Amino acid sequence: MTKVSININGEKYSEDVEDRTLLVHFIRDHARLRGTHIGCDTGHCGACTVLLNDRPVKSCQILAVQADGESVETVESLEGSDGKLSIEQEAFRDHFAMQCGYCTSGFLMMTHHLIREYPELSREEIREKLHGNYCMCTGYQQIVDAVQDAQKKFNEKK
Amino acid sequence: MYPKPLTYKKAKTLDEAFSMLSQNDDARVIAGGQSIMPMLKLRIASPSLLVDIAPIRELHEIRLDGNNLTIGAMVTHREIIESSEIGKNLPMLQETARHIADVQIRNRGTIGGSICEADPSADYAPTLLALDAKVVLKSSREERTVDLDDFIVGPFEVNINQGEILTSVIIPVNRSPYSVVKYARRSADFAVASMAAIVEKKPDGTITDIRVAVGAQSDRPLRMKELESLLKGQKPQKKDLYLEVDKAVEHLDPIDDIHGSAEYRKEVTANILKTNLGSLIFGGI
Repeated sequence: MTKVSININGEKYSEDVEDRTLLVHFIRDHARLRGTHIGCDTGHCGACTVLLNDRPVKSCQILAVQADGESVETVESLEGSDGKLSIEQEAFRDHFAMQCGYCTSGFLMMTHHLIREYPELSREEIREKLHGNYCMCTGYQQIVDAVQDAQKKFNEKK
Repeated sequence: MYPKPLTYKKAKTLDEAFSMLSQNDDARVIAGGQSIMPMLKLRIASPSLLVDIAPIRELHEIRLDGNNLTIGAMVTHREIIESSEIGKNLPMLQETARHIADVQIRNRGTIGGSICEADPSADYAPTLLALDAKVVLKSSREERTVDLDDFIVGPFEVNINQGEILTSVIIPVNRSPYSVVKYARRSADFAVASMAAIVEKKPDGTITDIRVAVGAQSDRPLRMKELESLLKGQKPQKKDLYLEVDKAVEHLDPIDDIHGSAEYRKEVTANILKTNLGSLIFGGI
C-alpha cells in the first residue's frame, strides 16, 4: 500500500491504495467521480481519457502511484459552478454527438484539450487527433461537427 | 483488469534505480508505461517490483554532440514531434513519431520504452535501423553501447541484462531524403507492414547511399542489407528496382494473424517499397 495524493479538479484526494491500482480506479472508486468510464480497459478506446497535467492520457494505462502529486482534470470539471454546461458539452448536445453516451466523457476531455491547444483544426485533423477515442454507436460525423463548433465558440469567447 | 500485486518505487537518480533493481531479480523498469502497462494487465509480465525511472532528469535530455543526437530514454513521442533540435537534425524520426498510436499514448509513451518492448511491428525500429541508431545501456558496474540491430534479438526480446537500464539512444544526424511508411487498417494500430528508407544520389542519378528497413515482416524489424548493396552505386531502371524488391520480399517471413496473412503482408511490403523507394530514386510516383 502506498499513500497517493492527486489533485483532481482542484480538490486534493489522498488515499492509501495498492500499488497496482490504476488511475481510473483511483478516480472512480476512491475519489468517487464516476464520469470517467472504463471501456476496453486495454488502452484503445479512450473512454477513460482524462487530462494529466493538462495533457490527455488514458487513465486505464497509468498507475495511480505514477500520478502521485500531479493534477488531473476529469469530465466533472467541465460544468460551471452555476450548473451551466461548458462550451464542449453544449456543442455535443447541439450536434447530437452521442447516443449511448458511454464514450462521451473521453471525447469531451479530448475536445476540451484540442480547442485550447490548436486555434484551428480541419475536419481531417480532428479525426486524426481523435484516433484514440472510439464511439461504437454514433459514428464520427456529429462528433467532428461538435468539435468544430466548440472550437469556433471557444475562439469567439477568447 | 489489474496487474498482479506488485511493489512500485520511484527512482530519482540512476544510482537509486540500479540499487532498487539489484535488490530484486524479478524487477522491471517502467518509463511511460504505454507498453508495459498492457502487458502487466494481461499478466504477460508480472514483476514483483516496478522501478519508475520517470523522475530521473538526465533521461529526459535531447542533446546534440557533434554529429550525434542523443535522445534520453524518457523522451516522449510528443516531445520528439515538438523538438526543434530533432526537426532540424533528424526529420525522419520526427515524421515516424507523428504516426505512433494516438494523441493520448504519444503524451506518455517514450522512445526508450518502445525500443525495449521490441514489438516486431512497432513504429520506431525501421527508422532507427535505417538511421544506424545505437542504444546506451547502463548498470551499476558498466556502460555499453550496442547497435540497435544487435539489441533487438526477437519478438519482444532484447539484449539487456537484469540490472541494466537503457538510458539513451544515439543517432547520427541525418537530413537525407527519406521515406517512412506505416500501413495499418487504422493509423493508430500497429503496422501490417512498414518501411523506412534513406536514399542519397548524385545529380546523374547514381545511388551513393541507400538504407532500407522494414517492420512487421519477421520476428523483428529488418534492415535489408542485400537489397541495399544491389542498388548502391547503381543507376537502376524502374524494372530493375521492382525485380530486386520482389526478390528481397520473397525472403521475408511475416506472421499470419487477424491483422493480415503472411502473403498479404509481403504483398503490401513489396508495394510500399516499390512506390516509395521508386519515388526517392526516380522522383515523383
